[in-house]
Amino acid sequence: MSGHSRIELARARARGAKRAIGVLTAVVFGVAFVGAKVHAPGHAKGTAKSLGAPSSFERAVRRSVAQGGQIAPAVQPPPVASSTS
Amino acid sequence: MSAGAVHRFRAMGCEVAVSGSFRISPAGVLERWEEAFSLFRPESELSRVNASEERVLRVSRLFSSTLEAALDVAAETDDLVDPTLCGRWPEVVISGRLLSRPPGLALDLNGVVKALAVDEAAAALDGPGFVSVGGDLAVRGPVDVALPAGGAVRVVAGGLATSGTASRGAHLVDPAKNLPSKSPWEQVTASGATCLAADVAAKAGFLLGDVGPEWLEARGIPGRFVALDGEIVENPAWNAATRVMQPCT
Repeated sequence: MSGHSRIELARARARGAKRAIGVLTAVVFGVAFVGAKVHAPGHAKGTAKSLGAPSSFERAVRRSVAQGGQIAPAVQPPPVASSTS
Repeated sequence: MSAGAVHRFRAMGCEVAVSGSFRISPAGVLERWEEAFSLFRPESELSRVNASEERVLRVSRLFSSTLEAALDVAAETDDLVDPTLCGRWPEVVISGRLLSRPPGLALDLNGVVKALAVDEAAAALDGPGFVSVGGDLAVRGPVDVALPAGGAVRVVAGGLATSGTASRGAHLVDPAKNLPSKSPWEQVTASGATCLAADVAAKAGFLLGDVGPEWLEARGIPGRFVALDGEIVENPAWNAATRVMQPCT
């Protein structure tokens, strides 16, 4: 009887040990996963962002303000004048 | 207002001429800009921003987009047209409606405000017409415009602006020296895709002095330069666009 109970106790310890190893493995994996995601540069933390150039430069490239207009020889008496103000 | 008739009034400290049919009153548009950006009105948003000791401020959408345009212009012109007038524009950051700048660093948005106001007023045109504020104009449909020192040009699309010392003396500041500019030109007129583009080009052409015609030409911008001695210099882009072709005989 006591031999049977020792076997049962041993099995219970083995189950506990397996469970502990499983939990420990999951915890180690989770910590490593989160740590890598937060600290390793190869892991994206969110949406991709462009590097380096200041936003004012990007805006200037995107919408150049230095663009010529269309002019032609005048054909009528001008109703308005361009001058310094 | 009927198309063809020219209506004149004063706004933003300048003579205004408008022609055409407008969905929104141009006088109302100009007043809104002046209300926000006049440095002569202590209650204007710009005056309040300049008076504030805070490093970070929440500003209106109009202020934010105007300052963004001013910063774009400063980058595009390599600091020539600078909203801080002292080369410190990179210290000014606008993110959404939050403005960050060192306290005490005053902003002057005159370099872009008038032209942006003209562009907004002209965008409300229902058909052919123009808006001119102090001689800086934007058109919808072709409009003939008299030029400084004589002559005229047809503005087919976009805007036309003149900068110089003719009416207010040396009011343009050279940011490199932080002093009123000394230019060999009395007036520089430039044609741009918008009034803002024309105004920026005219100011840059003026401030760059002898290399102004070349700078505009490199960007395909027609420019006309009236020298202090009255000589008129047109860059090749202006000359090509306004040359009258003789009919074949």
